[in-house]
Amino acid sequence: MSKSLVPSVCPYCAAGCGFYIAVEKDRATGIEYMLEHPASEGALCSKGNASLEVLYSEDRLRYPQVRKGEGWARLSWDEALGLVARRLSRIIEQSGPESVGFLSSSKCTNEENYLVQKLARCLGSPNVDNCARLCHAPSVVGLNMTLGAAAMTNPIPDLANSKCIFIIGSNLAENHPILSRWIHRAKDAGAVVIAADPRLTHTAWLADIFLRIKPGTDVALLNGMANVIVNEGLTDGEFIAKRTRGYSGFAESLRDYTPQRASEITGVPAGDIIRAARAFAISPASSIVYSMGITQHSTGTSNVVAISNLALITGHIGRPGAGIFPLRGQNNVQGACDMGALAEFYPGYRRAEDPETLELFSLAWGVSNLPKGPGLTSTEMIDAALEGGIRALYIVGEDPANSDSHSNRVRDALESLEFLGVQDIFPTATAQLADVLLPAAAWAEKEGTFTSTERRVQWTARAVAPPGEARPDMEIICELAGRMDLGPQFSYPDATSVLSEVNRLVPAYAGITPARLCSCGLVWPCPDAKHPGTPILHAQGFKLEEGRGYLVPVKYQPASEDVSPEYPLLLTTGRVAVHHNAGSMTRRSPSLMEREPELFVEINPADAVPLKVADGDEVIVESARGWTGARARLTERMKKGVVFMPFHFPGTNLLTTDARDPHSKIPQFNVAACRIRRRD
Amino acid sequence: MPVYVDISRCIGCRSCEVACQRVHGGGSHVNVHYAGDHAAVPVFCHHCQEATCVKACYTSALYKDGERTAFVIDKCTGCGLCRLACPFGVVWTDKLAHKCDLCSPNETPTCVLTCPANALSTDYEAASRRARERAAMMAIRGGRR
Repeated sequence: MSKSLVPSVCPYCAAGCGFYIAVEKDRATGIEYMLEHPASEGALCSKGNASLEVLYSEDRLRYPQVRKGEGWARLSWDEALGLVARRLSRIIEQSGPESVGFLSSSKCTNEENYLVQKLARCLGSPNVDNCARLCHAPSVVGLNMTLGAAAMTNPIPDLANSKCIFIIGSNLAENHPILSRWIHRAKDAGAVVIAADPRLTHTAWLADIFLRIKPGTDVALLNGMANVIVNEGLTDGEFIAKRTRGYSGFAESLRDYTPQRASEITGVPAGDIIRAARAFAISPASSIVYSMGITQHSTGTSNVVAISNLALITGHIGRPGAGIFPLRGQNNVQGACDMGALAEFYPGYRRAEDPETLELFSLAWGVSNLPKGPGLTSTEMIDAALEGGIRALYIVGEDPANSDSHSNRVRDALESLEFLGVQDIFPTATAQLADVLLPAAAWAEKEGTFTSTERRVQWTARAVAPPGEARPDMEIICELAGRMDLGPQFSYPDATSVLSEVNRLVPAYAGITPARLCSCGLVWPCPDAKHPGTPILHAQGFKLEEGRGYLVPVKYQPASEDVSPEYPLLLTTGRVAVHHNAGSMTRRSPSLMEREPELFVEINPADAVPLKVADGDEVIVESARGWTGARARLTERMKKGVVFMPFHFPGTNLLTTDARDPHSKIPQFNVAACRIRRRD
Repeated sequence: MPVYVDISRCIGCRSCEVACQRVHGGGSHVNVHYAGDHAAVPVFCHHCQEATCVKACYTSALYKDGERTAFVIDKCTGCGLCRLACPFGVVWTDKLAHKCDLCSPNETPTCVLTCPANALSTDYEAASRRARERAAMMAIRGGRR
């Protein structure tokens, strides 16, 4: 029997590891490693190795369904699409297009994200967003403001060229394991690794200096380090003079952040702050790696700005081994943002309130009256649903009922909608609340491009057919648009034709034509068909006024929630190696579930003993917003007074707060006050 | 050609476990163990030079094939003596014995290819060179790891 090998991109995190799917008789039978892949060199983490299990899960949605009382009734595609189109059209007629919201998916391809935002905007609704809002919205806002580009500045393998790697708020050993390969290579060549985290993670194992920080005090730590660097004269004066603006105001603002004061706020010894600051500043090439430990705070944007300040005053940006590495979560969250599936941006980060943007896209799409933004963010759409401003939501491959904070409130919001349409591969918690449920194809069952965290745009090929009547998201969106009088705007024969339109409208993607996408892809910005791509950003200056990066003073502000006599423990959330995000895929993957089957809470023995909680006990964790059961794990990994829960299981986000960062609207997932008691 | 583990590189991500299970079906022949709160080490067949499992196996289902401790399933009676004899707990008997086969006849074992951290290798020279380099680095830096 003939076996073919189809190149694919891993559907889990944004590292963008490639592998081949072995296909026999139209069935995916195995994985072969892609040794030539530039970021992964053939390696694959546990999730990637288990990814094919998702394709053949019994839970896959196989045909369109409509809610009938408590249950579901099967529909034909024609009936289902007609029903969705009629319900959305009626609500748009009655209360205007602003009463409808769209959530696009950072799991879908660039082409699909482009089409979802195009559909929303062609219908007149400015309300389109994706779950970048829940992971790196502060990076988009913060890095655009200070550096003029919202993306990782250097490729993943370039970490090997760093002489000092500062990892803050990222447990990459578990969440982006492939990065450890390059960090080890840097260490082999003598690099110093610094890790800052509230939790002694596996990532901390890589570190020479570990800073155990109190959750939500990142700005104090980063400003404290900047204070040391400025006071000890370790700044890069030439870089500051030629390539930045705002230095004097920034240096002035650091006066309050002596290492002693930073130490009081963060709980990190002052000597360690000084040691880390010196190591970072004096190395010839330093990198900062960060992730959701930085962004998921009510001060998320300030945290990101503080990171970029640190890189700018030391000149550690725009060179090999020197840069800022925001590690993105979903396989195509970078692409979903690039394609404009964001409330404040049209494709290519063109501001949604700019009349030029509206004119450009009106002309390109052949529609008048495109909605002026910014629209509602995904978190604001939930508020608006509760208040009645949003009457219908159409959700593509996202699960806000599990992945948003304070999920009881999110469920209430989704239930209060007049119409909820969902297209997904699994009956997620959100899908369970839908009026119409459309079955979608998974990544290996369709084709298109994904953009990884290092801005690498890679083609993923169709390996097998979707189960039952499931169809690629792109087809579903085009069919739906056709039924809402947008047939001419949505007549695409395939993903290639959508990418060609993207080439014309998004300058950074102009040269990333389908014909050029070999198995290893191209790195944007790639402005023309001969351009080789741009692995390192900001080498020639910043895309801001005078080409200068912007130093912005940021103040430490305490998290919106702290412990109280009623809720004496601080809950922080995160991820584990064998699960991914809200878990709708990994919880359906047997070889991953057998390794991490249930929700747990890590607690320091000193906190557990007075509560009479032993290792392995079932406990109830409560916050002001809800409660959940979990199994206690007693460990010194957690500092006294701080507990940790992974958010892969539905219970965790029942506890988290809906307090948000005012600039980027990301919820503060990482700090919540809670209490724990035995369950008996 | 056994697999060498560089414990300083292992990040405890369990990729080797899941990959081993994927290619062998059923159970994994690698188990990642955690020491203390964050050190990790994958434990699997050492392919011992003097393999006690081979000595215990009265049907010669287990035998030495060069450096490899090999296994032919047809001869296995499922008696479990190999499991008892293995000092590392890395031979299992679920009806029949199973253990690491170094993914024979493939040139490189799956766990080595899949390891994101490059903690596993079949190259003794590389593994020992790294250890020496680390020791040298420690001396230069005045005692830090």
